[in-house]
Amino acid sequence: MGEFQVYHRGRLHVHLLQTTQFRTRHLSLKICRPLHRDSVTKSAMIPYLWMDGTSRLPSPLDIARYSDELFGALIRTNVGKRGPLQLAEVYASVPEESRAEEARGVFDDVVKLSLELATDPLRGPSGFSTEFVKREKSLHQKRIASQADDKIAYAMEKCTLHVCRGLPEGLPRLGFEEDIEALTPAELWAAHEQLLKESDVYLYIVGDIKEPDAMGEQLLEQLERQLPAASAASATSLGSAAVSKELVRAIPADGRGDEPEFITERQQVQQGKLNFGFRTGVSYDDEDYPALLVANGILGGFPHSKLFRNVREKESLAYYASSRLDGLSGIVAIQTGIEPGVAERAQQIILEQVDAMKQGDVSDEELHLTQGALANQYRQVMDQPVSRLEIHFSGTLAGIDRDVETLMKRMHEVSREDVVRASNRLRLDTVYFLSSQEGETHGN
Amino acid sequence: MEINKFPMGEAVYQERLQNGLQVVLLPKPGFAQTFVTFTTHYGSVDRAFRTHGHKDYTVVPDGIAHFLEHKMFESEKGDVFPEFSRYGASANAFTTFDLTSYLFSCTDNLRENLNLLLDFVQDPYFTDANVEKEKGIIGQEIQMYNDNPDARVFYDLLKALYQEHPVRIEIAGTIDSIAKITKETLYECYETFYHPGNMVLFAVGGFEPETVLEWIRENQAKKSFSDVPVIDRPPITEPTAVKMAQTTAHLAVSQPKCLVAWKDAAGPMSGHDLLERELYLGVVLDALFGRSSPAYQEMMDEGLIDQGFSWEFERAETYGFAVIGGNTPQPEKLTDKIQSVIDEACQTGVLEAEFERCRKKAIGRFLTTLDSPGYVARGYVSYLLRGAQFLDTAAVLGELTLDEANRHLREYFAPERRAVSVVQA
Repeated sequence: MGEFQVYHRGRLHVHLLQTTQFRTRHLSLKICRPLHRDSVTKSAMIPYLWMDGTSRLPSPLDIARYSDELFGALIRTNVGKRGPLQLAEVYASVPEESRAEEARGVFDDVVKLSLELATDPLRGPSGFSTEFVKREKSLHQKRIASQADDKIAYAMEKCTLHVCRGLPEGLPRLGFEEDIEALTPAELWAAHEQLLKESDVYLYIVGDIKEPDAMGEQLLEQLERQLPAASAASATSLGSAAVSKELVRAIPADGRGDEPEFITERQQVQQGKLNFGFRTGVSYDDEDYPALLVANGILGGFPHSKLFRNVREKESLAYYASSRLDGLSGIVAIQTGIEPGVAERAQQIILEQVDAMKQGDVSDEELHLTQGALANQYRQVMDQPVSRLEIHFSGTLAGIDRDVETLMKRMHEVSREDVVRASNRLRLDTVYFLSSQEGETHGN
Repeated sequence: MEINKFPMGEAVYQERLQNGLQVVLLPKPGFAQTFVTFTTHYGSVDRAFRTHGHKDYTVVPDGIAHFLEHKMFESEKGDVFPEFSRYGASANAFTTFDLTSYLFSCTDNLRENLNLLLDFVQDPYFTDANVEKEKGIIGQEIQMYNDNPDARVFYDLLKALYQEHPVRIEIAGTIDSIAKITKETLYECYETFYHPGNMVLFAVGGFEPETVLEWIRENQAKKSFSDVPVIDRPPITEPTAVKMAQTTAHLAVSQPKCLVAWKDAAGPMSGHDLLERELYLGVVLDALFGRSSPAYQEMMDEGLIDQGFSWEFERAETYGFAVIGGNTPQPEKLTDKIQSVIDEACQTGVLEAEFERCRKKAIGRFLTTLDSPGYVARGYVSYLLRGAQFLDTAAVLGELTLDEANRHLREYFAPERRAVSVVQA
């Protein structure tokens, strides 16, 4: 399979991947702008308001029925977050027309609808329709509140946001409940217009595209037409990926003092969630990134990793115990679910694993198993069009044009010494413990 | 080897080996990965059984099929997981109500990984110590689900719907029930259900089917097995009525979760009938409660539901249920609304245009799922063990008729088969 073909004009980007491998054609439109405390909540609501109606299809029911008619096209909008950026997204998928007779010509309509949702939403007398704004305000309030229902995800979010406190990365993806009440249809409409005017726009398509160059050009023209401020803005903007290049970087590892903060929250739960957030200062474009990727894998990426073996298999303390690395912020986050009473012991064992790595306790076996497992993960991505475009997008934001093959090669060259050096870049920032109502106090 | 070609272009290669193992291979040219599952027709509902020569049924502790799944990953030499990592594969396993599946996906060393999978599942190693150790780990898995409102509202629903059928028991059991598990009972369940004659090896991805089949034959030829046992499960007599019409649990949730469900009273079912029933009910429920239905939009406008609202219909050999619901501030009002949508639909029937729209959408959505090897493996094997052909989904959807859909609608939703499950703070 080939690589993404990139077409861009100013802040508008079209990325196409030609492939005959799949039965599905995918589209992803990403409109990104810097996260700000003032705009985070209204920006988060905009993609959901898009699904409420367009000039041509003026209600949610009209949109749902129309997309059903497009051979069951799946169309969703979403708000995303990458490092210091907030993303308004449209995602669509539909059966590949070269593999199913009934899908002929449907994709053009899917492209048209996707762009229409973002650029031509239904307008009422004073901005977005008053009725839909009322409905979305209530839904958004519930959307934010319900994040606390999944305790595993909730604890992870609390921990990583705390690591990023004081930075744009520390703002929650969906914004704040307390902002919602005061928002007006006019204010939301203004935020929508500003989003279209100022953001970087990325349109991804993966599928059996017959003439990518022609399609790339045609889509750029379509974007320029539907985002009228684009050409004017691009004359003064800094060129491609202006927003991301300026802003996307790892959270600094140093400069905050070396003492970690301990937070305990109590809720009506049977299982405690114990999370650790580390700053590394190492992101995607750092020399040490491949080594840190391997180090994270050895620590907690797989069932052969230190955390799984020691916390689960040896001590029988948890069902899951793992770590993950965010390539844009450089945060390593560990998560595990334990009996609330054993938190101190679990913390001790977990931090011992991190210290062991810092002191060079990394075997050749651990290194090779992890390199093999990571290589398998990356090769499998070749079969997952959506993961593939997301990885390409992260690379684009980090300003690094490194394909998966190159990253895999770099990862294979990582030595034991590299892993130990990368491990020593971990600075424990936050220990977050979601505990049950009773029990002893944890931490300091 | 038998080759089955499907109208969408897929070809399936299958063979039953001498020892009884059923091998099914679905090549996907161009794919980097191969996804393999090794599955036994043994799940949490198989809590009582006997094999020939035994007079009495053996009743085993709840959660034992899942416990066995965990314990299979331990061999005399230690943990099996790192062995898969050695060959660049990622391995896992899961247990459902009616099957237990061991799986890996890899992009290299397929032969080594296949041998590893077949060998570890066919070589049990249980000790008193390793069984005790697992109780702590599974105990935490059970606690994790106890805190999960979606899992809780669903399991409580099944407890309310069913009076006798063991589908009402949690797949992982309870902390008390797993405490009773010993290595002896694990071996007994293993000997009964892990004979190759009760198992399916399924592979999907970028491989050469003839070669892969030869590898599997070679691996199996080296081992000896007893004759295929006949497993006798006691018949389950499930009354038509539900156990409880309403159940409520309390968890730390931001707003209540409410599921309204009807159990299927159609009696044992398998094969084409089962697949057809599932697709009929699916199209009916989508027409009534999908995002394109007037009811969905009305409930959204009233603030009665959010985007998490959905429906599901599942049909297995001895049980089945239709479930509708999601988050709601007013569980009672949502229940009444769902009931009134069904009552009204039973009067008017599903309209032809809506039926066609939902049917076409279901075909399109089915085609797009074929890109995911993991999804295909799970779907294919699950239907195979229920005697049905997963890849017939598009064709069967194409043959559904409006009259039959409305007949299903009018027969299915009887009041005595309805239960409501709520989780709230």
